Amino acid sequence: MDFIIEGIRKAFHLIFTLDSEIFSIVLLSLRVSLTAVILASLLGVYLGFLMAVKDYWGKRFSVALVNTLLALPTVVIGLIVYSLVSRRGPLGIFGLLYTPSAMIIGQFILAVPIIIALTHSAVQGIDKRVRNTALTLGATEAQSAWMVIKEARYAVLAAVITGFGRVIAEVGAAMMLGGNIKGSTRVMTTAIALESTKGEFGFAIALGIILLFVAFSINILLHYFQSKRV
Amino acid sequence: MDKLIFKVRNIKKVYNNKIVLDVHNLNFQEGKIYAIVGPNGSGKTTLLNILNLLEKADEGQIFFYDQEITNKSNSDILEIRRRITLVNQNPFLFNSTVYDNIAYGLKIRSISPKVQKSKIRSALNIVGLSDFEDRKANQLSGGEAQRVVIARALVIEPEVLFLDEPTANIDQKHIDVVERIIKKIKEEIKTTVIFSTHDLSQAYRLADEVISLLDGKIIKQVPENLLQGEIVEENGLKRFKTMGNIKFAIVSKKVGLAYISIDPRDIILSYEQFQSSARNSFLGKITKIIEQNHLVKLEIDISIPLVVIITRESFFEMNLNLGSKVYLTFKASAVKLY
Repeated sequence: MDFIIEGIRKAFHLIFTLDSEIFSIVLLSLRVSLTAVILASLLGVYLGFLMAVKDYWGKRFSVALVNTLLALPTVVIGLIVYSLVSRRGPLGIFGLLYTPSAMIIGQFILAVPIIIALTHSAVQGIDKRVRNTALTLGATEAQSAWMVIKEARYAVLAAVITGFGRVIAEVGAAMMLGGNIKGSTRVMTTAIALESTKGEFGFAIALGIILLFVAFSINILLHYFQSKRV
Repeated sequence: MDKLIFKVRNIKKVYNNKIVLDVHNLNFQEGKIYAIVGPNGSGKTTLLNILNLLEKADEGQIFFYDQEITNKSNSDILEIRRRITLVNQNPFLFNSTVYDNIAYGLKIRSISPKVQKSKIRSALNIVGLSDFEDRKANQLSGGEAQRVVIARALVIEPEVLFLDEPTANIDQKHIDVVERIIKKIKEEIKTTVIFSTHDLSQAYRLADEVISLLDGKIIKQVPENLLQGEIVEENGLKRFKTMGNIKFAIVSKKVGLAYISIDPRDIILSYEQFQSSARNSFLGKITKIIEQNHLVKLEIDISIPLVVIITRESFFEMNLNLGSKVYLTFKASAVKLY
């Protein structure tokens, strides 16, 4: 029992003294996950929008596929990307394995279906009159599409935040693709996994608290945006 | 002044194998107010949407001034689309402030914020909502929202303003306000206004010209007592069932949905119900009396309103008043079927 209390005491000490190792890990986590989510948003919001407004062959299948990909296990993503970027893989020449770039690719793949699916349902929920109203006021097709996204802005933001919440907390892909290399690819989740097996509970708990804090902040933001939906 | 702003030639629109619009020849002159009247489902909205380039016609041609605009894609006719605008029956306000809503049409035309501001002020002034700039759009009443969407349409200074049933979903107070706004648009801005309504008297109050549609076709005169309903067969006899569930005896070969009209001159009024060959007799209450030269037009409520026209002599002889209860009698053959 003592080791837990001791761990928590040490964790707060590390956090309040702004321990440099802890914070470099936190910063790397944020850098990797934010990059992955920003890239995933560019693709996911666009595709989710198209899926909602366009009629195309295979639409129902694509919706079902995206929804299936929501349940994609992170270790499977890790496996797929690993096989692609490892030295023997088709992208091996770029030497991406065990770099933050590989982790970004993995997290990108994890976030895209989430953002597509949530954007799709957000845009579907938008009143059909938005597009017509914009057109009657003289908008071009692109301007009317942008207005639809704008009307769905809170729900689309919620989609992006949900994607971020998913990737910042995942451990499988980060471990397999980053390799948990100290000072290079060690992020919060992989560090917690390692440090707790090493018995460094204070360190692991400190990161756990920060991770929880990030998750909590994400939920507050989500809640805020969802309450703005009319 | 007499320039034709819109010319419609042989337009047809089909939904689910049913012709919903079939207009041969229709012209709109610059600067006039037009009312398109007709019951629900007569094709008013379809006609407005086609003129406003939101829908495409299946056949025929439309000219804006002398330029043909039929079946052009949205980007081809952007310049023309920007000279006209439509206010929907159920207006939609973007989820922002009144100011931002009205600014939208100006923003996409890249008009400077300073000019935007003065234009928005004057548009709000026309609809009488000067101090509404900062109000949230989702906190407006139905009538206020209707006025804001009219301001949003006016601010882009359209050459043609289309209004689809501008008073259909608002209370009487706001109906008056909106009617005053339409008159003001004609007097002060001289925009061509084309609006649809199912209220015939409103059409005549506001418009220079009234176009009536029935089942997608233009009809010369709007018949009085035009009713929408269903022809059903009961004990081998045909009956017309109105939306208000009143049944008229009619002469008809077909069954199903239909429109009927009853010539107000074919209806006989009496205090007592009498035996006759006429198949239709209903008790009603007089709700409106309008004198027209040597005739008197009465509105009588038999749970739906019917118009009856009688001579002044009959009117005075019968000593009719508002609230008088009378029987309306007419023959099954007096019911005209469409």
